[in-house]
Amino acid sequence: MTVNRRKKPASVNPMKIGQSLGAVLALQGCYRAMPLIHGSQGCSAFPKALLTRHFREPIALQTSALQEMDVIFDANRNLEEALNLVLSKHRPDIIGIIGTELTDVAGVDYQNMLKTYKRERNMRGGLAFSVVLPDFRGSLESGFSSTVEAMIDEMIQQVGHRGTRSMNTRQITLLPGSFLTPADVMELKEIISSFGFEVIALPDISTSLSGHLLTGFSPLTRGGVPLDSMLQSLQSGLTIAVGGSMERPARRLHNAIGTPYKVFEGAMGLKATDELLHFLHQISGEPVPLRYCWQRENLLDSMLDAHFQFAGMSVLAALEPDHLYSVSGWLEELGVEQKALITSFETPLIAGMEREVWVGDLDDAEVLGKGADLWISNSHGIAGAQRTGTAFMPAGFPVWNELGAYMSVSVGYRGAMEWSNKAGNLLMQREAGHRESSVRHR
Amino acid sequence: MDPLRQDEFDSQACGSIAPKAKPCPRPKPGEAAGGCSFDGAQITLLPIMDAAHLVHGPIACAGNSWESRGALSSGPSLSQYGFATDLTDSDIIFGGEKKLKDSIDYIAGRFAPPAIFVYSTCVTALIGEDMDAVCKEAADRIGIPVIPVNSPGFVGSKNLGNRLAGDALLQYVIGTGEPEPETDLGVNLIGEYNIAGEMWDIEKLMNSAGIAVTSRITGDARYKEITWAHRARVNMVVCSRALLGLAKEMEARYGIPYFEGSFYGAKETTYSLRQMAYLMNDREMERRVDRLTEREEARLSQELRPYRKLLRGKRAVLYTGGVKSWSVISALKELGVQVVGVGTNKSTEDDVRRIADRVGDDTEYIPEGGASRMIKTVRERKADIMIAGGRNMYVAMKEQIPFIDINQERHKAYAGYEGLLRLAKELTYSLTNPIWKLAASPAPWDKEAPPYDR
Repeated sequence: MTVNRRKKPASVNPMKIGQSLGAVLALQGCYRAMPLIHGSQGCSAFPKALLTRHFREPIALQTSALQEMDVIFDANRNLEEALNLVLSKHRPDIIGIIGTELTDVAGVDYQNMLKTYKRERNMRGGLAFSVVLPDFRGSLESGFSSTVEAMIDEMIQQVGHRGTRSMNTRQITLLPGSFLTPADVMELKEIISSFGFEVIALPDISTSLSGHLLTGFSPLTRGGVPLDSMLQSLQSGLTIAVGGSMERPARRLHNAIGTPYKVFEGAMGLKATDELLHFLHQISGEPVPLRYCWQRENLLDSMLDAHFQFAGMSVLAALEPDHLYSVSGWLEELGVEQKALITSFETPLIAGMEREVWVGDLDDAEVLGKGADLWISNSHGIAGAQRTGTAFMPAGFPVWNELGAYMSVSVGYRGAMEWSNKAGNLLMQREAGHRESSVRHR
Repeated sequence: MDPLRQDEFDSQACGSIAPKAKPCPRPKPGEAAGGCSFDGAQITLLPIMDAAHLVHGPIACAGNSWESRGALSSGPSLSQYGFATDLTDSDIIFGGEKKLKDSIDYIAGRFAPPAIFVYSTCVTALIGEDMDAVCKEAADRIGIPVIPVNSPGFVGSKNLGNRLAGDALLQYVIGTGEPEPETDLGVNLIGEYNIAGEMWDIEKLMNSAGIAVTSRITGDARYKEITWAHRARVNMVVCSRALLGLAKEMEARYGIPYFEGSFYGAKETTYSLRQMAYLMNDREMERRVDRLTEREEARLSQELRPYRKLLRGKRAVLYTGGVKSWSVISALKELGVQVVGVGTNKSTEDDVRRIADRVGDDTEYIPEGGASRMIKTVRERKADIMIAGGRNMYVAMKEQIPFIDINQERHKAYAGYEGLLRLAKELTYSLTNPIWKLAASPAPWDKEAPPYDR
């Protein structure tokens, strides 16, 4: 309906996350990859620390460690040095050079530099690409999807626009959005493959950030989709994108090599899952597996059990655009009032929503959501929820106050059930707390 | 403010104003780790809990870093708010000074802080924003101190940022106020950031010996108390790498004697308390300190007994920066833990000398090289545990190496006598946790002998 902004000069308690962090996250989903942030040391130290805190995993990341004089004279000298070192020491399959606001404002042309570098060194076999991601535009979500797009571009370039590509109709490329947890990606892969498809997720954080004990330290990513699968994905018969932000990379595949695509904007709740399963049923001709029929029943039953809990309740959600859209759809089904919806930046999906959405920060959430019963946002929202006496449910990125947050499922019937129960429990506890305190004060 | 020229800093060692031979090392592209100067400046100044801290730049500098540092507050929480000017394309093109001015006014009007710290970032430094002028103009207009902190990320390392923050305090804060008449003057604690509440343990000790804290620079500090730091009788530098220059300058300007000390380990704690009393030149206080430390040490050694038994002979690799590189060694030695490897990449020459005084000849020095080098040392030296910062935690855990977090993101306080006991407990819990055995044993089906010879 409308996208609003509160008028204030400064951002107070920002929920926006630098785009480059999204790029780093995307690259974690590729096997033996190394994201390289072209900026000063902090530009990589902060994302690394934050991603580590959220996923509780080591994060592969390097920096060109720009200092003042490097920016003034020749920032690309540092990048070359970094590339030389990373290539000779670790031999990554994939390198993503991530430009920051610093290189953007200074006008550093690292894209051309990378081209020359690749030509001079005769680099073949690996995937090296660059992506421009200054922080004064977008947020985590746009950084993530732009990186996937740049990655796909590079893949297409490398394989070339051959007309004689063999198409594998039983293979689907899945483009999961940045708001999906490793467990979500795993669930989506499972759902799609249960209809008899081969799935290649691009990127695939479900095999890299889901937690596994591999010994033998490597500074590169130790899981994710391997390069040969990535290239093989160009032969997929269909692209499924989850999240509105992933439409652009899907369209890129369509325009370059003609792969048809389908975008699922929402991924949470009964309706969204129904749509996904119905679609898969139609294109595969296979019946919907029995376990999902069961899960659907389970979800409906648990929603029925919980509906007393949600009746008359109001919720505020402050999340990245795609995530907000998805969560809003689920809230709709619970029958709760959506007191305030706040997001980090405006996207076409958000602009097209039927509800009123605010672009802002967690301070806006505190003001606009006053009187809400449940607060859904990243862990930065804890303080605000406390100040307003709202039950707090961590979601999105980053979440550091809850163990296993990165493994919680939100997609599919199972995800909707997990979230409904979690939200219902929080409201129940809050109610009990209120009752207790009113007795005490009598 | 002096221009932030690289070559000027290169001629000075980190942490001191007097020139020394060894410059801050240039970070190696492709192999650099750790934060930038902006991070360092925030680490030093954010513990001024009642002040507002406004980051002038694009969103990520604040958005990716606020609420990530473990300094605790006993009251006001304004410093835990994330404030940013959140510059957009057009702000970069047309200049962000207007937005900065509006933001300062907005924060002053809505939150009424005693002071606002404004941090420059790479981008605002690069496009030549005149932050000093905006801050000065705003301070005059709204009547509260607005302090520019010129420590953009690209001028150097985290340590340099600590120091630049110290410079800002010297230039704009210290000496601008006078203590309230009833204030008991005593010691400034410099470079103690109240990580996980360590400051509170230290203060409790000092108070029981009758030593007053004049200013906390800056753990759990209030803006006002730092303005009168120049009235203290002694400066104690807890984190020497970062803010030694501040103490030296205060000695030159105000004649306050300083010493470097630590609160990690009973011996160091006792030494620090004694040193304070000695420099205060108060016989009675010295006697009180003696009585207190004797009593505390006796009680501690009693309580440590069960843990010492288990920890004796255990081997640790220590990888941390600055003062902790040597002070934690003392603490570990008291527990009977042997340090077989120690990181020195962020240590000054003084620190390295102190490390050498405290470890045996067979200890390996790890000058740089990050995670892989650390793991290698753990393996080669057969260490039982790794003690390092949070960023390295999961690297160690994936290799199934017991780990203790020692840096600024941690949640356990290890300072003072109580802290040493806590450290002993943490080490014991970590080493004896069943997970190490469970993770090391294979699944039952992997254990079975193959049914036939292949």
